[in-house]
Amino acid sequence: MSAPTPKPTSPLGEMTGPGRFSLVGHALPWLVIAAFYFLVDDYLGLGTQVMIWVLFALSLDLALGYAGIVTLGHAAFYGLGAYAAGIFSIHVSQDPILGHFFAIGVTALFGLLSGALILHTTGVTFLMLTLVIVSIMFEIGNQARGLTGGDDGLQGIRLDPIFGVFDFDLWGHTAYIYTAVVLFIWFVIAWRLVHSPFGRSLDGIRQNARRMRAIGTPVWWRLLAIYTISAAMAGSAGALSAHATKFVGLSVLSLLTSGVVTVMLILGGTRRLYGAFIGAAIYYIVQEWTAQISPYFWEFVVGIMLIATVLFLDGGLMELGDRGARLLGGRRRAGGGE
Amino acid sequence: MFSFALTILLDGLSYGMVLFLISVGLTITMGLMRVVNLAHGSFAMIGGYVAGYLTQHGMNFFLAVGAAVIVSGLLGAVVETTVYRPLYRKGELAQVLLTIGLVFVATAGVTEVFGAFPYNVKMPEYLTQPVDIGFRTYPAYRLFLIAVGAVVAAVLWYVIDGSILGARLRAAVDNARMARAVGMNVNVLFTGTFVVGCGLAGLGGAIGAGVMAMEPSYALKYLRLFLIVVIVGGEGSFKGSLVAALALGVIDTLGKYFFSQAASYLLYAAVFALLLWRPQGLLPAKSAA
Amino acid sequence: MKRFIRAAGVVAALALPMASASADVVKVGLLADFTGAFAVWGSQFQQAIKAYQEVHGTKIKGPDGKENEIQFVYRDLTSAGPEKAKQLAEELVLREKVKFLAGFDLSPQAMSVADIATQAKIPTIIMNAATASITRGSPYFVRVSMTIPQHGAAAGRWAAKNGVKTAYTIVSDYAPGYDAENFFTKEFEKGGGKVIGSERSPQQETNYAAYMEKVLRAKPDALFMFQPAGSPSLAFVKAYIERGLKAAGIKLIGTGEMQQIFLPQFNDDAIGVVTSFHYTETNKNPENIALRAQLKKMFGQDADADIASVAAWDGTDLIYQAVAALGPSADGLKYVDFFKGKKLNSPRGPIMIDPDERDVIQNIYIRQVEKRDGKLVNIDIGQEDMVKDPWKLENPAKK
Repeated sequence: MSAPTPKPTSPLGEMTGPGRFSLVGHALPWLVIAAFYFLVDDYLGLGTQVMIWVLFALSLDLALGYAGIVTLGHAAFYGLGAYAAGIFSIHVSQDPILGHFFAIGVTALFGLLSGALILHTTGVTFLMLTLVIVSIMFEIGNQARGLTGGDDGLQGIRLDPIFGVFDFDLWGHTAYIYTAVVLFIWFVIAWRLVHSPFGRSLDGIRQNARRMRAIGTPVWWRLLAIYTISAAMAGSAGALSAHATKFVGLSVLSLLTSGVVTVMLILGGTRRLYGAFIGAAIYYIVQEWTAQISPYFWEFVVGIMLIATVLFLDGGLMELGDRGARLLGGRRRAGGGE
Repeated sequence: MFSFALTILLDGLSYGMVLFLISVGLTITMGLMRVVNLAHGSFAMIGGYVAGYLTQHGMNFFLAVGAAVIVSGLLGAVVETTVYRPLYRKGELAQVLLTIGLVFVATAGVTEVFGAFPYNVKMPEYLTQPVDIGFRTYPAYRLFLIAVGAVVAAVLWYVIDGSILGARLRAAVDNARMARAVGMNVNVLFTGTFVVGCGLAGLGGAIGAGVMAMEPSYALKYLRLFLIVVIVGGEGSFKGSLVAALALGVIDTLGKYFFSQAASYLLYAAVFALLLWRPQGLLPAKSAA
Repeated sequence: MKRFIRAAGVVAALALPMASASADVVKVGLLADFTGAFAVWGSQFQQAIKAYQEVHGTKIKGPDGKENEIQFVYRDLTSAGPEKAKQLAEELVLREKVKFLAGFDLSPQAMSVADIATQAKIPTIIMNAATASITRGSPYFVRVSMTIPQHGAAAGRWAAKNGVKTAYTIVSDYAPGYDAENFFTKEFEKGGGKVIGSERSPQQETNYAAYMEKVLRAKPDALFMFQPAGSPSLAFVKAYIERGLKAAGIKLIGTGEMQQIFLPQFNDDAIGVVTSFHYTETNKNPENIALRAQLKKMFGQDADADIASVAAWDGTDLIYQAVAALGPSADGLKYVDFFKGKKLNSPRGPIMIDPDERDVIQNIYIRQVEKRDGKLVNIDIGQEDMVKDPWKLENPAKK
């Protein structure tokens, strides 16, 4: 069952079937997340941030990786989710679960509406439209100071304990576990989704939308569906960020946030779900470490890392795992890459 | 009233010309090589820093700009042949990742060498003062920008539309594989175009530093504007990017003048509406006869 | 879930004694941007702190006569969002066991750590972040920098008193810009002046042609600006000259745009620009002369003091004094109480920490750019003594 199929040579890795991943592969990231909690207690804040980025990158993988929707506007959903959760807690209710669902609902609706407006376009035009949307959202967030706090950020978020029991403690234990649970739920949803017939049809749309249309697939509706789900997921990540930080800064809506999550995903490898895990974790941690060694030079190190990944690893960092697995299995790569 | 309209037009055109100079290289390379080159602004930035360094150390402004063009172009040649060439066959996501990596490296390098402060390109005294243009006084610098932009646009127009080289270029934009099949050396054409594009970016960065100031975050900060010009104009379309850049400059100026509270939205709203109306941009390269 | 609670308990039990175990070293966590658009802040903070430690040594005797080493731990906020500031502050508190937090160039960064400061009882010295309300965020916040309304209000009063009848304002379109506009306008009109137009320019604007054209047509006596230091303020002044506003006799009034470190970027056209600010770099205070000389000695001729340097210098001074008076392991609130009402001879002039609001009270200097010995410098032409933050006077704390 774990016999690797010959590596497809299309750019940046190909679809990995569910059979491709061994049980060990599946368990590993979750074991790391669990072990991190018990072993590296002082860094729970970092762990929480990384998981939030993982979830955000995962949401992008659904749209960008699986459906081929090239967007630079995902920060619009992430930021909207963060503001929705924060504003809800200030003005409506301090229940975190309720606030989280509210944020998901708002972003899903926004994804649906904005997607309906722009999903008939493709390629760079679509990319540009998403970029413009996130730019406009940023300006709204900046100017609606009464609601968002503008550039000063949204202050005064207070949260009740989750289920009335688990208080958001300073040491970040609750936030960590809460984030891990939410990430797991979304991961299961994403996994089921991409391995369903619906997910397969997205794969077809990405490769040849015209042909899919010819065989009767409602392409536009499928894209709109995945775009909405992806938006909801990004909004959920934003809500987690607002809850974990108890503060929302305007930067959640910046183009840079969109750019960083895109880089994380591609770095890890698209269309493999776990690529989001690797990419977000490596990017965040490398940045963190190099910034500690010399605060000025993380950009240089991260830049070189990105360039090297493209030049030497076709499938992003996940490719390293694949190569390792092949070496261990004693199998050679059939024919080699292009 | 007439003089007022003319002022706004001049303000808009001068800003638009800077955008045009920097973006035109990106337009052509994106159309020709299909590379999503997010690092393009880095070449403008390096041009600006070179010109800044030289003018601050006493060199004549125009010589310094010349040097900036040459350095940016040469750097373009190096990067094209080493890093970009293997990239042509990879997907656009790989291109995004690599070119963002280049931006990071360029930013870190500039910070290391020149510091984090904005960096001044010293202009000659007569360019920093207002001059009398008949009905009013007007900044000499902005007239200078318009003049340079117009000359470059005219030269490019002639080369692309009127010369054999331009015909080859257009052929390669239309269908690179076919161009190769009929015996054109597409690689040389690619490198040459890339170098010219980077040189022009260096020119725009150097002389445009008065409206788009040099700082380490330059390449990312203005990327949004460069992309808007390219995509609104139509990928690969030189005329499109000229029209888009000038229109952008004028709309931006009008917006700030008449609807200053909404100025930051207005430009985006205009781009949004335009792209929904014409998804291929104003003057798409391919559909144009 | 049980395990979760148990683990939390164990961790809490472990964390407490460990905090007091490292008695000799007092760690100060400094959070600032060292990369990205705001990288200047981090490097200026760091240089001033190193200069202070070079002059005063890294060791300071506590009340018991025992030596304590003051150690700064630097973390880069990478110009990322405030969630990064919060995460790093958490790590500094939990892992590095810092006794003090310091730094914060941007307001959202400071606000995002308010919870941590309060819950972990960590005195937090804010060395820039200038939004007026920040110090209300936590009883552990102490600010040594400034507030935006201090500058804006003083500028408005000065303009009204010095022959300016009408003014136009152009501020950057973000919260500090609104505060500057608000307090300038209020004080200026209170003094009998009239604001005849106001604009808000996008935050990272560098193309001011249209705004200047509007001002030129409105013909005010003065133009008040609030623009982020760096490329926007440089471009603003350039456009003001180019467009002929200076030639038309419109006076330019600002706040932080004409700091000494930016002046080399301007040419002689900047002569005559008036700014209202809390630090004149060329002042003759012995503390200031010493600081500037030390920076040049350690970091080369290009190094110079700015507001980040003086705030970092004063903040470090406060920490040294607190450790000398209270030792290395006093309760957080004890340190804060020590800071309240504290007076310092800062390189900028005398300052005091407001005993009620824990915010800085200081002189505001009105300066004009002039040319001395071939170099542009700010020369004081007026001064307001010991200005409290006007925003807090207007919005008294709720009891």
